[in-house]
Amino acid sequence: MKRPVYIREASAIGPQPVFDTDRLEQVAAYTTHPLNAVVPELRRYVDPVRGRRMEKVARIGLGTALNALDRAGGAAPEAIIVGTGLGCMESTERFFVPLLHNNVAGQIALATRCTGYNYTYLHRGISFTSALLDGWMQVGLEGRATVLVGGAESITPDYYLVQRRSGIWKQHDVPNLEVLRATDGGALCGEGAAFFVLGDTPGPGTAVRVVDVDISYRGGAETLRDRVQAFLQRNGLSTDRIDLLMTGRNGDGPQDGAYAPMEADLPQATHAAYKHLCGEFFTANAFGLWLLWSGLRTGHLPAEAVLRSGSAAPRWGLLVDHFQRTDHSLVLLERIGP
Amino acid sequence: MSDRVVITGLGVISALGTNVEGNLDALLHERSGIGPITVLPTRHRGSIPVAEVHLDDDALAALAAPRAVRSWTRTALLGLRAVKEALAHAGIDPAAQRTAFISATTAGGIDKTEPIYDQYFLPEIPDEAAQYLGTHDPGDHAQRIAAELGFRDLVTTISTACSSSANALMLGDRLLRHGLTDVAVVGGTDALCKFTVNGFNSLLILDREPCRPFDRDRAGLNLGEAAAYLVLETEARARARGADVLAVVSGYANTNEAFHATASSPDGTGAYEAMRQALAMARLAPEAISYVNVHGTGTPNNDASEGIALNRLFHGAVPPFSSTKSFTGHTLGAAGAVEAVYAVLAIRHGVHFANLRWRTPLNEAPLVPVTRTRRDVAVRHVLSSSFGFGGNNTSLVLSAPEARP
Repeated sequence: MKRPVYIREASAIGPQPVFDTDRLEQVAAYTTHPLNAVVPELRRYVDPVRGRRMEKVARIGLGTALNALDRAGGAAPEAIIVGTGLGCMESTERFFVPLLHNNVAGQIALATRCTGYNYTYLHRGISFTSALLDGWMQVGLEGRATVLVGGAESITPDYYLVQRRSGIWKQHDVPNLEVLRATDGGALCGEGAAFFVLGDTPGPGTAVRVVDVDISYRGGAETLRDRVQAFLQRNGLSTDRIDLLMTGRNGDGPQDGAYAPMEADLPQATHAAYKHLCGEFFTANAFGLWLLWSGLRTGHLPAEAVLRSGSAAPRWGLLVDHFQRTDHSLVLLERIGP
Repeated sequence: MSDRVVITGLGVISALGTNVEGNLDALLHERSGIGPITVLPTRHRGSIPVAEVHLDDDALAALAAPRAVRSWTRTALLGLRAVKEALAHAGIDPAAQRTAFISATTAGGIDKTEPIYDQYFLPEIPDEAAQYLGTHDPGDHAQRIAAELGFRDLVTTISTACSSSANALMLGDRLLRHGLTDVAVVGGTDALCKFTVNGFNSLLILDREPCRPFDRDRAGLNLGEAAAYLVLETEARARARGADVLAVVSGYANTNEAFHATASSPDGTGAYEAMRQALAMARLAPEAISYVNVHGTGTPNNDASEGIALNRLFHGAVPPFSSTKSFTGHTLGAAGAVEAVYAVLAIRHGVHFANLRWRTPLNEAPLVPVTRTRRDVAVRHVLSSSFGFGGNNTSLVLSAPEARP
């Protein structure tokens, strides 16, 4: 039978100072892009000698994974599930080392001595949410007690340029805190990692649970609106129950338009966004989920994340994200208790 | 009581043939697909045998027949061909119900971007390169196939080295058992490319001759290319629509050795655990297994540790087993699905496939595989293993529809 799935703890590294905390206090402003992840001191988690040989994506992935487990009271994961759009592309570019896409999950398994289920999803904008869906099934439907899920991505010089040529980044610099007002195409490129300890019991502090996850492919703005309606309906919620909406608006004007019809259905909710803070990348929605979790758990969101204020003391939180209007993710969270 | 998940459609393209029938025919007649390189442009031509699909990219595009050929990588074309066959076999239109597409790959679209990579940094990108902008990442092939065939729900890609597409099958089964989709199309695709040939060559695990899995004198693996997909649905749904139930997904497990970044443990602990847990999920005793399609790459390390694990699991009485990689080479991200398709064929047609070129038992585990393809045998439960680089191990148990534990 279906059991509740709690986010026992979480950890993130990115362009914002969010490591080893559950709230974002001082928002970092950038005038140029890409937005690079600020890597904190990770000596506690990553051996400095080995760390030097690791790619950034592996270092920040391992660092946030182990920090999240630490914060959850030294939890031992039964399964490790990672989403990453590119895996260890830098090794591919530099050394032509084959097939290390699942290196981050493997490194976490080595560090935690976890011999259980170990999966890596590499599917563009739903890489992380595929991992989340899998982990949610493992705890909620398959009886595992503790599952680690996360997303990690780092900008590699080559791939940044290749993607720039395909037009997905803005060709000029825009201050990140102003980018959501842009009407032209392209987003700001970013990077980061976020990991979540999912469990069948709540962790210390205010409990937040993952109620449901939905992933879909294609469809325009109206399809996204319908998908959100159906998603809430299957969870017994009317649209006016959503207190906190976190969208993947990224400053790409034409693409951000896809959120408008869905947002109009939730006029009472606080509308927030996160991709201007962390930049756009394949697993940016892992940071989006971190910020939504943080907002529900602490009742605090930085002013820079809030597009429109709605209900205080939010209980129901909804993440709505699309990547290039093809990869759509919906995640419903609920704060439990006071 | 959750409904059983069954297999109602198969599609495969490999060095053995461009469809299920061609693959079966080659397996029955012991016709190996391993030979000299004729399609891949590489300096290793003449020195390294591979298992190629003997169609150049244009011929493959004509066969797979996407609506517009532009931007299709070889990996994506192989996948499209096999997915189309599987859907047609099952009689499924992806848009007619909730249909998940779970794919797997290791190389992704690198086959097309590697020869033209430098052109991306030119002031003007020539069109031959520009069409492949954005096809480099593993998800490209799955999205392209999904768009072509009308998938609209969960479309995702798993990349866990050699166990990738076996893991796709596991995810599809779980989505169905939990009612999160109505149909799941699962599998994987990997084209041969210089990137993998060079990479494996640098690891010194490529045999200069056709590979000899589970032979004492084995000297490495041969790389192959393939795509294979299976259509999964609940038995209730399949019966209700009158579909032909080909086989049942009885059990599976994925384990990770946490031993080393690339090597597997010498005592085969991870392999043993994957097989043991898969049998436990299927509620089968080891002696219920009729045939084992082993991972059997032909590398000294894999076959020794897998042999030790087999002996341990079956207490020395290992059922008939073989490595069909002696036909197809190691097709990496596609291998788990290719071998799942072969497992279903073994059940349907009552066959134990040959382990080609075997002569002498391993020192570490003196096991004798099936050396000639055997027909007219009863195959009820097949254990199929895919053990990945980095110790990511998956075992599947597929069963005949009428076989009850």
